[in-house]
Amino acid sequence: MPFQTLKKDTAEGLSLEWIMHVKNYKLNLDKNRCVGCQICNLACPKEAIRIEKQSKTVGEKTQKAKVDIDLSKCNFCGICDILCPYGAITVTVDGKHLLSVLDKESFPQLVRDIKADASKFPMDRDKSEDVCPINLIKVHYSTAEGKPVKDPCSLNESEQRALRMMVEVDKEHCPCCGICEAKLPQCAMHVRRILSGKLAITPEKCPEGCTDCLDVCPITGALYLSDGDKKVHANEMFCVYCGACKIVCPVDEALDFKRTRINHTPVRSGAWNKALERLTSPTDMTKELKAKRSLRARESVKKRMGLKEEQRV
Amino acid sequence: MSKKIRKSVDTARKKTKPRQKKARPEAESPRIGVFVCQCGSNIASIIDVDALTKYVQTLPNVVHAENMNYPCSRQGQDEIIAAIKNNKLDRVVVAGCSPRLYEPTFQSCVSRAELNPWLFEMANIREFASYCHQTTPGEANEKAKDTVRMAVAKARLLEPLTPIELPVTKKVMVIGGGIAGINAALDLADMGFKVYMVEKTETIGGYMALLDKTFPTLDCSICIEGPKMVDVGRHPNIEIISYADVLKVEGYVGNFKVKIRKNPRYVIAANCTGCGECRDACPIEYPNYADMYLGARKAISIPFGQAVPLTHTINRDYCIECYKCVDACGAREAINFDQKPEEIEVNVGAIVVTIGYGMYDPKDLAWTGYGRFSNVFTAMEFERLILAAGPTGGKVIRASDGQKPHSVAFMQCVGSRDINRYEYCSSFCCMYTLKHSVMLKEKYRDAIEVYVFYNDMRSNFKGYEEFFNRAQKSGVKFIRVKLENRRITEDPQTKNLTVCGENEDGKPVSVEAEMVVLANAAIPSQAASELAKILKIPLGKDGFFAECQPKIRPTDTEVPGIFLAGACQGLKDIPYSVAQGSAAAAQAASALSKGSWTVEPLVAKVNDELCSGCRVCESACSYHAINVEKAGDKSTAKVTEGLCRGCGICSSACPMDAITMPNYSDCQIVAQIQAVMKRELKKHD
Repeated sequence: MPFQTLKKDTAEGLSLEWIMHVKNYKLNLDKNRCVGCQICNLACPKEAIRIEKQSKTVGEKTQKAKVDIDLSKCNFCGICDILCPYGAITVTVDGKHLLSVLDKESFPQLVRDIKADASKFPMDRDKSEDVCPINLIKVHYSTAEGKPVKDPCSLNESEQRALRMMVEVDKEHCPCCGICEAKLPQCAMHVRRILSGKLAITPEKCPEGCTDCLDVCPITGALYLSDGDKKVHANEMFCVYCGACKIVCPVDEALDFKRTRINHTPVRSGAWNKALERLTSPTDMTKELKAKRSLRARESVKKRMGLKEEQRV
Repeated sequence: MSKKIRKSVDTARKKTKPRQKKARPEAESPRIGVFVCQCGSNIASIIDVDALTKYVQTLPNVVHAENMNYPCSRQGQDEIIAAIKNNKLDRVVVAGCSPRLYEPTFQSCVSRAELNPWLFEMANIREFASYCHQTTPGEANEKAKDTVRMAVAKARLLEPLTPIELPVTKKVMVIGGGIAGINAALDLADMGFKVYMVEKTETIGGYMALLDKTFPTLDCSICIEGPKMVDVGRHPNIEIISYADVLKVEGYVGNFKVKIRKNPRYVIAANCTGCGECRDACPIEYPNYADMYLGARKAISIPFGQAVPLTHTINRDYCIECYKCVDACGAREAINFDQKPEEIEVNVGAIVVTIGYGMYDPKDLAWTGYGRFSNVFTAMEFERLILAAGPTGGKVIRASDGQKPHSVAFMQCVGSRDINRYEYCSSFCCMYTLKHSVMLKEKYRDAIEVYVFYNDMRSNFKGYEEFFNRAQKSGVKFIRVKLENRRITEDPQTKNLTVCGENEDGKPVSVEAEMVVLANAAIPSQAASELAKILKIPLGKDGFFAECQPKIRPTDTEVPGIFLAGACQGLKDIPYSVAQGSAAAAQAASALSKGSWTVEPLVAKVNDELCSGCRVCESACSYHAINVEKAGDKSTAKVTEGLCRGCGICSSACPMDAITMPNYSDCQIVAQIQAVMKRELKKHD
């Protein structure tokens, strides 16, 4: 069988494949998870990913932008997989989700700093699980003996106290909006943002009645329609800075959006620097490089002076 | 007679009259001798040579005429020399065969009689009369008379000429680093010539470097070729210019100027040690052409372990520029992402073209199922499967389930011997199929059934028929089928294949096999047509480079100084390619070893006084051999003698009649025309 390349585009997903006799590379885009943000498009080192704004139908909600990947340009490096905040893209080699760019330290991983304290969670399953706008939290209740309990609300107070709770967060697909942290009881969840940036809407510039950005935003609460001026406003507290809103916004000046920082594992890679520059800005990339440099300088000074880790220079 | 010819006749008369008087001071000159050849029965059976000889004796200025059998033989030549001396001949005409083959023979013959070789003229009464008018001997005899009369008319006006000597550069370029090119380069380098070996891909070696074994001895292919590749890399007289394209070739034998583009590898060859640490650090892979895309290679890598040069190459189509290779390379500092394509110019005296062949992609032959059925492979893919250093580590496994097949069917003549695809026989497929089937049988014995669907088994050359016998004895089943109505189908569940055909009686035969290997046609290299344009050498109708003469000049091209070897001239196996590589090397060496190249003086001559520098000749010349140059305050046309092929187009295009072709001058041609029009010529004219 000769070398084959395949591309399948269905309503559920987009998949690309390289089939070699001894190796199989596959990229899968889960269209249900994809929000049509611009991150993969900006991050792709081969400029293989295109993002296309969908045409609007009057009276219907604005559609999220569509992602298309050029099979002839894609090299299955997996950078889109790593950077997608929603975990919508998966690249596998022979069916295994092991990315060589991570293995060879050519690219960092996003840091998803999510901690859940099950003991602080409310007894109401729905209240706990529904706070996540994309349903990534699952709570399991069981008796002290380990017997699963379906509806803890039906138990009396003492029984409830004896219940064991286990919280399962699907971290791989979590964009770290932090809504759970705000809505659940204090200290139940701890979430650190992956992306930082700036999002500001100038309502005066917004076209009358336009809710395009709100329509596509996957994070309920990051954008809201004001009762007063009937315009969309931003709540930066929950924004994940994916940029799905920026893509669909019809007026350039209405939505001021930028990313400034990405929380990632330490790395030394030209590919990362380029991705960072495209995702944030040359200035922000330089900032990170400078920070890295001074960190290195500090460490070498520490080493030379024989100081211990916790001692400050 | 048209106006134009009449005009040229007039000018010819005007021009020739004074010269004729000067050239012929005494009434006896020219003294022409005519030798009519019988050529066994080739001429004599149709042409009445005695009558022709008698007729020739009546022609003006002919002082001697005789007919003889084979004037080209030693004895015949001696007779001609004697006749020249005895009769004080100063012009010689041989009426015989084609001057294309025998003119040089007779020129050297007359020069031994101390006559200028350009005072010789040939009349072709074999190809032009006896051969082509066999059924009408009367007309053939008339035509023979016409032909000889024309030759005598021209001989009367022949002028002595001196050959032109051109200096040569004692360097050779070999284009293509396959086994033919490697041999040509090594031979030339050992003879002391500087050799530039230009290779399109990253490494020399060609197809032979990708094969597992060679027939009929089953020697390891790379074990034979590898050391030769290393020899090329280390030879002080050879410079490998790999990953490069030939852009432009100018000049002529002895003085070619070649422009080459070195494509960027993004690795500095001088610093790269070939250690492979960068490759280990690289996270990116892409399908490897050297593995027929069955396996992958790193974005910075070499195509296979024995590559020469061992310089790594970064494929920027796949590289993500993480610079991990730069870190891994460290102090060697061999990686340079800013490398740009570099154009260089090289002067060489001769060029040997050995660009090899390509492989036909049988995807468009629907009956084969190639590309649709996962267990149908081409022969080259199979070669990489069975190779221990290949992507599967030498395991012959199916694509559908990764299992070793229990039966393999080989299908011959896929795309070749097919008038709708490639009409010719690919020449080596029968033998490599025998090789593959013997290897399978000897490796797995009774655990595998091997079938060969063939039409004709072509096992000529030394040791090949014996190898065929060995295959038959090893238990390979040979099934002879017609080339038409062959079909391969797949069972969608098991992914097994059914190979169907028709035997000689038209009865269907079919076999179920777990794997099918196609002997797909070998085809002209993709680069052949472009290189043909660059080198100005012709391609044959099959798309391979055309040799000058298929029998006795198989390595020469139409262009002096450019030679062919290996499969680019026509498909051939390894020993034949090796031999031809050495043959082309010898040809190139003999062209350059004297230190100068002799050009026949039949090149255009410009009369500077008449030339107005109008440049009409420049655009008329297809060889770029004539150019207007400024000399002092006057611009005149100058002829590059090495490039001029003596076609005479410039001469007829020149509005000032400033260009003449020696021994093809207007007056000589007009004299021939007049002769053929049976104009009676007075003795003194």
